[in-house]
Order: sequence, then C-alpha cells, then structure tokens
Amino acid sequence: MVGKSRPFAPILALALLSGCVTHTEPAELFALTPDIPKNRAMQTRMFETPNERELLSASAAVLQDLGFQVEESQREVGFLRATKERSAREYGQYVRQVLVLIFSLGKLMQPVDLHQKIAASLISRPLNPEATRQEVRIMFYRVVWKGDGQVDNQYIPPGEQYMEMIRDPEIYQQFFAKLSKAVFLEAHRI
Amino acid sequence: MNKSTMHITLLGTSLLLAGTLLLQGCAAPQPAPDLLAPTEAQMKIRSLQTRTFDLTDRNAAIRGVIASLQDLGFIIERANEGLGLVTAARFAEPNYYDVVTITVTVRQETADKMSFRANAIYNNKPIEDPKVYQNFFAALQRALFLSQETTPSS
Repeated sequence: MVGKSRPFAPILALALLSGCVTHTEPAELFALTPDIPKNRAMQTRMFETPNERELLSASAAVLQDLGFQVEESQREVGFLRATKERSAREYGQYVRQVLVLIFSLGKLMQPVDLHQKIAASLISRPLNPEATRQEVRIMFYRVVWKGDGQVDNQYIPPGEQYMEMIRDPEIYQQFFAKLSKAVFLEAHRI
Repeated sequence: MNKSTMHITLLGTSLLLAGTLLLQGCAAPQPAPDLLAPTEAQMKIRSLQTRTFDLTDRNAAIRGVIASLQDLGFIIERANEGLGLVTAARFAEPNYYDVVTITVTVRQETADKMSFRANAIYNNKPIEDPKVYQNFFAALQRALFLSQETTPSS
C-alpha cells in the first residue's frame, strides 16, 4: 500500500510547487476589490488648507527629512516621486542562513537580502471646487536585491531581485504625522 | 603565363564570391513594409482603449485619471500636465515578479468633450483583453463622477 502510493509523491510535490506560482489575470488587476478602501484609508489624509502648493512642498520636505531624494515632480497635477536606497541586511536572515547551512549539512546556503530601494509616489489634489480642502495620498513600495547563495554544487549568483508594496500602517502614520507637523509649523511661520 | 592569369581569375572570382557572401551577411532582415500600417486588429484595440466623456476641465480630467489609477492600486510613475500624460504601474499581486504598466493620455476633443486613451502592458506584452479596459474605464468613470459630484452644477 505504502509502496504503491510512493510514485505519486513527486507528482504531488510538483503540483504543490506549481500551486505556489499564481498568475493573476490582468482583468482582475483592474477591478475594484474589497481591500481597496482599506488601503485608500491608510494611504490618504485630508488637510484643511487652500494652499496645495505649500502642501506639496511640505510633503517634499518631509520626504527629504526621511532621507528620500525627490526624482520627479509635477506641480500642476500635484505629483511627487521620491526614492531612497538603503541596506536591506537583517540580522535574522543571517541567523537563518547559518541554521539552514548547518541543517542541510553545508549543502544549502540561502541568499540574504543585501540592498533595497524604497520608493514613494505622492499625489495631492483638491477635494472641493473652492479648493479649501486638499487630499494627500502616498504609496510606498520597495525593490530588494539579494546576495549570492549555493544549492549543493550550484552557485546562485547575486543580484536576484524582488519587489513588494509596503502595507505597514505605521510607516504611513509616521509620514502623515510628520507632514501635519510640517504644515502646522509652516502655516505659523508665514 | 597562362597559368598565372587563371590564378588571377580564380582569385578574383573567389574574392567576388566572398564579397557577396559578406554583404549578404551584413544585410539586416528587411522589416515587412506594412509594419507600421494600421491593421484591423489595431483599429479594434484602439476603439477598446479609447473612451470619451463630457468634461470641460482638462486638469480635473487628468487628476481624475490619477485618482482612479490610485484607487486600483497603481503606483503613479510619471505625470505630465502639459501633455495630459499619466503612466502608472502595479505588481500582479499576489506575486511580485509580474508588472502591469498603463499609460493614459487625456486629450480635449471639443470644448466639452474629453477623450481618454489607455494602453496597458503585462510585463512586456500589450494587453488586448477588452475586460481590462472596461474595468479601467468603469473605475475612471467612478472617479470622475465622484469628483464631479463635489463640483457645483454650473
């Protein structure tokens, strides 16, 4: 019984592996999904100010304070894009790399994250026709580059990369806390 | 004497042959003459990608495009007010290896008509699925309509 079921093991493993790689249909990516309002709420804040320009330059200043370089800006549509490059090394990943190396008897060395580029895309827009209220929406995402590794005798070259959206509410809260502070200070300075 | 002339003719012929062969090797494959000519499929896809709305404010239209793309989870990469151009991208979540990119251009057709053209790409392949564009324009209409609602009915 056991011997008979054994041939199916690799097939099952293959099926499981192929199950990991899901390809989303493009049409689904253009559909409004239930988690959209949640993300929107996290990424958006409203400011009671008629001065969109001031808000945009304050946003740029906050991004600079956070170590970002502004790469592109369009005042007419209230657009800013900024990036920063940092190390992506994490202590935990090195510990795991060593543990995996020991448990696999030196056969498997997992690549660790080395370098990352964090990007922010910011849009401000007036919410009412009198433009006394403005909305600021920011999205953070990052691209991570991995170091080299080894599986058995196969060398994994460095430079493999992956991308991800940053969905940690705390990062967005931090940004908006700084921005409201900046707007407040600047409003008083005028 | 005779032998050397034969040698020269032989050398000349072989040189000529080598020359033609080399030339042949250099010639790039000719692109089809109708490469840039519009095909029926292209016309069909263009009509799918284009939609006209009754709008007067061009700036508000561009901002509406940006808002709708943001609502769909896209990251705005480029925006140009002067040209009415917005480029945005998003990862084909849940996997982060595939990228969908969309470029939308806004053009004022008449004083009260605004035309929107969207081109979407999945990794490096153009998307020809009508559903994609229908979904996008539904989101755009929603964003434009919502922002229109707040404007006075003048």
